[in-house]
Amino acid sequence: MENSSDESLIVKSLAGDLNAFKTLVVRHEGKVAGIVRSLLGITPLAEDIGQEVFIRFYDELHKYREHSTVNTYLTKIALKLSVQELKKKAKTHSAYEITERVNGHEEQKGLNEQLQNEFSKLDPDVQSVVVLRLVEGFSVEETAELLEVNTSTVLTRLAKAQYNLRNALTIKLKL
Amino acid sequence: MKSAVSSQEELLLKSLDAPVNADERERLATGMQENPALRKQSDQYYKIREMLKRKNADSFGPFFAERVLHVIKQRAGNIDYLVFFFFRKYQVVILGVLVALLLANLFLSDNITLKSIFGLEGETPEDIFSIDAYKDLTP
Repeated sequence: MENSSDESLIVKSLAGDLNAFKTLVVRHEGKVAGIVRSLLGITPLAEDIGQEVFIRFYDELHKYREHSTVNTYLTKIALKLSVQELKKKAKTHSAYEITERVNGHEEQKGLNEQLQNEFSKLDPDVQSVVVLRLVEGFSVEETAELLEVNTSTVLTRLAKAQYNLRNALTIKLKL
Repeated sequence: MKSAVSSQEELLLKSLDAPVNADERERLATGMQENPALRKQSDQYYKIREMLKRKNADSFGPFFAERVLHVIKQRAGNIDYLVFFFFRKYQVVILGVLVALLLANLFLSDNITLKSIFGLEGETPEDIFSIDAYKDLTP
């Protein structure tokens, strides 16, 4: 089963073979975890969203042929659901609350945690670009295709994100 | 960002993700040689990019796939129950209608035999075979 192609596993899953679907989950979990956890942090919510990604994939298996690869398809669902959550969060927490939360224990935070906090303050659309390009290693063109924007938008968002992160980290932690 | 970022830094940021032409490459190389602040910025950007790369998680932890399958199976069970419940509701209605019809039949005739309940009271086999649809079956 482990050596079977994604396509044959999908055919078996459609026929009701849940073990085939499990192999697909194991095979692609890393990619989904990378995207969801980069955007939502290592939280129970991130795992719930990860589950939701695969459940949606299972429900839409019959539509799979419309997509180029399982990886691309899962990446798109993971991004969509994570960004939805980020936007929901942004509505419920004011910028003041976020800043207070970060500044409150600044001294205790390591550089990585500080980076995560600064990253979470970026616009969700900018975060998506950073995750795809810099965390997951997609090319600029692939990132543009996945997000359905043009490459110059990707480059602008990347530059903006890196500039903001560098500024924040340089001032606060003397990077 | 535009107001604060220098043109050299802008070029540096561009070079991190997109190809630069010969002129831009030369400008950047000169800037890196002559401007220590730009060199520092370049180091900082590479460091941030390295840190971001390490954000990558490789799994959701043990038994994630099992948990996904559990949800799928549980949900399938819920759907089966809903289908069963939906039809059970109609089974009760149909049964109720049948009982009502039989009771009505019973009260309309002054008899409580099975024949009266099923509306066959006083009917003989000859009566049944005299119906047009059964003519060809007449012995």
